Amino acid sequence: MPHEPNGHTADQVSDGLAEDRAGAVFGALADPVRRRLFSEIAAHPSTATELANGLPISRQAVAKHLNSLSDAGLLERERAGRDVRYRVTPQPLSEAVSWMAEVGGQWDERLARLAQTLER
Amino acid sequence: MTDEIEREMDFAAPPDEVWEALTDPEWLGTWLADDVELELWPGGEARFALGDQIRTGWVEEVCAPGGDGGQPGDGRLAFWWAEDGEPASRVELSLRPLDPGTRLRVVETRPLQLLDLVGVPLPGQGGRRYGPALVAA
Repeated sequence: MPHEPNGHTADQVSDGLAEDRAGAVFGALADPVRRRLFSEIAAHPSTATELANGLPISRQAVAKHLNSLSDAGLLERERAGRDVRYRVTPQPLSEAVSWMAEVGGQWDERLARLAQTLER
Repeated sequence: MTDEIEREMDFAAPPDEVWEALTDPEWLGTWLADDVELELWPGGEARFALGDQIRTGWVEEVCAPGGDGGQPGDGRLAFWWAEDGEPASRVELSLRPLDPGTRLRVVETRPLQLLDLVGVPLPGQGGRRYGPALVAA
């Protein structure tokens, strides 16, 4: 891939957030499925089963994505009977970081589509 | 303070062709959004539809590759966009010729202090809202 994100975005996050932490957050939110899961959980705390019901992917795949989001410190787990309910960690990342992760991810997708259409 | 993301990508296509992909509404509809309307002059209106999400905005700068005000082969398109009631952000797409090919640089910025005003009804002004045009003024 000719695409290489430069260091700009990480520099801008330095106030209040260690860079490795920001890296973990960016990595976790780089995937469109994880961004969708994250925004659904932000709107409504859910279990992996509930989330999988609304998506064309398996519960196992959802659980794996939820683990990545949890490892990055974005989600908290809580017991819900035999299941685990996920909710968004209160202020796990500044609003600026989440904006950059989301907007950056969107441009990655757009540029990949542009590369496809230009190579036709 | 400004939030900013930046991306660069190199293409084998020459600047003229990449410029067309950035400015032709039909071509934009294949990668930027589902449906794009763009008036290609400073102050021109812009509308981007993606699924049920609509963004509107305006064009700030249009400089075709090889046109006035730039290095030969450089091109630049800058516009603002926002969803209704959301803070606006500025997108700048700039082209630089490679040998051969084209480097595209994308910068999207959100100037926070000014944009705190966007979409906030102002007392005493009949509920008028600040928009991106006023921010840039």
